Amino acid sequence: MDAKELRGIKGVVAAAALFIIFFGVFSSFLQLEGNVARGISEEYNKLAYKMAPNNLASWVYDYRAIDTLLETGVIYVGAVVSVLVLGRGLVRLKVPEEDEIVKVTGMDLKTETMPVLLKYFALPVVILLIAYGLLVVLEAPTSGGGGFQCGVIVSSAYLLSVIIYGKKSPFEIKKKTLVALGAFGWGLYVLMGLPGYLTTGYWQYNVGSDLWSWLSSFPGEVPEILKTVFGEPFKLALQLKEGVFYATSGILPIINIGEAFNVIGAICLIFFAFIYGWSDPEEEKLE
Amino acid sequence: MNEAVTNLWSVPLLIIIPILTAILVNLLYNKTKAIRAISVGASIAVLAIAVLSPYGFHWFAGHPAVNSDGTYTFTASVFSWKLSLEYYYGPLQQILIGLMSLLLLFTVLIATKSLSKNLGPYLAIIFLTYVSAAAVLMTNDFYHLWIAVELGSLLVAGLVASSGTAYAQKAALKYTFFSALAGSGLAISLGLILGLTGYVNITDAIHFLMSNDLGGMYAVLYVAFAFLTLAWVYAGGLVPVHPLKSDVYRSAFPHGTVLLQTQSKLMLVAIGIVMLRLFGSLPFATDVMLVISVLTMIFGVVMALIQTDLRWILAYLIVSHSGLVTVGLSLGTYRGIVGGIFQALNDVIYMSILLICCEMLLYFGKGSTSIKFGGGVAKKSPWLAAFAVLGAMAASGIPPFNGFQSELILLQAALEQGLPEVAAVILMVSVSTFVALFRAIYSIFLKPEPEKTSESYVGRFKMPDVVFISLVVLLSISLILGVYPQLAFSFINESALKVVLVPWVP
Repeated sequence: MDAKELRGIKGVVAAAALFIIFFGVFSSFLQLEGNVARGISEEYNKLAYKMAPNNLASWVYDYRAIDTLLETGVIYVGAVVSVLVLGRGLVRLKVPEEDEIVKVTGMDLKTETMPVLLKYFALPVVILLIAYGLLVVLEAPTSGGGGFQCGVIVSSAYLLSVIIYGKKSPFEIKKKTLVALGAFGWGLYVLMGLPGYLTTGYWQYNVGSDLWSWLSSFPGEVPEILKTVFGEPFKLALQLKEGVFYATSGILPIINIGEAFNVIGAICLIFFAFIYGWSDPEEEKLE
Repeated sequence: MNEAVTNLWSVPLLIIIPILTAILVNLLYNKTKAIRAISVGASIAVLAIAVLSPYGFHWFAGHPAVNSDGTYTFTASVFSWKLSLEYYYGPLQQILIGLMSLLLLFTVLIATKSLSKNLGPYLAIIFLTYVSAAAVLMTNDFYHLWIAVELGSLLVAGLVASSGTAYAQKAALKYTFFSALAGSGLAISLGLILGLTGYVNITDAIHFLMSNDLGGMYAVLYVAFAFLTLAWVYAGGLVPVHPLKSDVYRSAFPHGTVLLQTQSKLMLVAIGIVMLRLFGSLPFATDVMLVISVLTMIFGVVMALIQTDLRWILAYLIVSHSGLVTVGLSLGTYRGIVGGIFQALNDVIYMSILLICCEMLLYFGKGSTSIKFGGGVAKKSPWLAAFAVLGAMAASGIPPFNGFQSELILLQAALEQGLPEVAAVILMVSVSTFVALFRAIYSIFLKPEPEKTSESYVGRFKMPDVVFISLVVLLSISLILGVYPQLAFSFINESALKVVLVPWVP
């Protein structure tokens, strides 16, 4: 946009709108200062450690689990839509249409011009990045990290390897695999709601930590086998001064892993399509 | 029906089944037969669930609510602060989601019949569009509302861009850019409400607002209202973003627009009801909503009158009729809300009839729906012409079709509020809709066939069976609701009463 376009009445309207928005938001922040109500967060904090050893995991993947499921969906949909614009899954009516499909081609990536030094150093960096991503997701129940962070780190490793090595990258993943990774990740997250749903009627009830079965008004019961399957592998026993602290994060680590796969699949697929474009096998044969 | 239940079985299935279907069909990509079987099966499943489900709540992740004495409860019959994210499935949700499920089934059937290869991603987007609208309708939680609206906006762009034409991609990009602003606005709005009340559950937040002295905190409420209105305007394509939304409606395949306009109308209703519940008693709030609604009605229908292509005419009429929906809600009265919701229901039905007819014309007219190419289609396809004429009658508010009943209620509601000028605009929209539609229908269907040119509609045309059945079903519903509107009222009345009398109840 040319700055000249903002001269005259358009500029006055834009400036007035910005001023009103700034004034409104700023004055409401001023009014809120010192008056922020803590509301339900106090209850969340009080209970959080019983379902996962850190607040972040319990808020994001337990209290707000279905919220995070749809947020994960935003990433998945972002990939589907971005890659669709670049050519994967464009559809046509079975009749002649007025407008033609826009052909999008990939970037002109010339990896042969990359310095040899970079090629030597990139491989260990990629390996370290992947290892760091795995560490982040596996430590998620006890740290501030999680599936999304892992996904972004591993995707960065993928992007780095593609930029340096091109299609002969040691970290080469086929496009079908990338689609499958995303589907597996989001699918795993979705299906983690099933054990709780089948036993208690509540979707995404954390059967591993089974926090509420003791309440008489709780409608369901979690079988011991489910508590063991989902609880034991992720049981955490910490030695504290007051005595033994016991917590299990149950299905939350698995959800985190699902999210990681989803993000890796989605973001790598977007990188892939932007760099190489998209052509379907049938079209490739024709070419 | 036990409404106090907090683990209602149907609610998660209405979200999870379409999500799993979307994942599967996207993965299958070009396996058309498998995609068709899975998609049709899933559509029938969600339709059956929506129809058969009892009413009640679902507290996701199964955390209880906290009573005032600090004890916990799993019953929704008494007020308590919710720890879980809450969905509510009541009569209003049942009729709206039930109708959307039916349209999902028709959309899937038509898409799998009329589109060429690589259907997977497209159908995935269609199923997730359904999810976004269903979530907005059922959720009683601010943050979830935001996520569902964000997801919905992205999906609209995907559905439009899927045709791959330059025009569609431009429309999708513009819509995505502006909807990002709306999403941010919604986030600011709910951030302010959360800061003010401490609750993300809408019922709990309203309770807090009603039971506490807000002192000099009204600026926060007004700014939150303003940003929520921004999101409402963008989600529904109201003035001043009506050109963006009409571009979107025009650029998608007509069967895709069936679901797009359904999503928009249902979001308008759902967000509008949240606005009324939260800010209905705030001075000037409903007035602002009313002004936006009236302008949308006028701008939409005026733009429709000057178009020469049926797809464009329908695109602008959908926008204009969104104004009819919101004008009822904006009146804020029991009758107005009933009229607004009923209008949304009717609008979705008759616009779907016209859009499906439009898609058939694309076949007939070698990809064109311009009224300049027309003439003689009624002779070659009498059924198609009959459906188009009857659909247009319903859209124009002519009895005995459903459009007449809801527009009558809206007129009564406006007059009851002492707003004859609003009633006059509603009448003007009705008449102008008739003119805009019948001008196109005459040119395309009823006018004698011109001398054969390469551009005219050619040959006899046999509608595919799925299209014929879809049109018969939709027209029958339109007629039944026109003759017996009480059928719809039994689902809508309770929600309208709650908004007016007990706004904290979802």
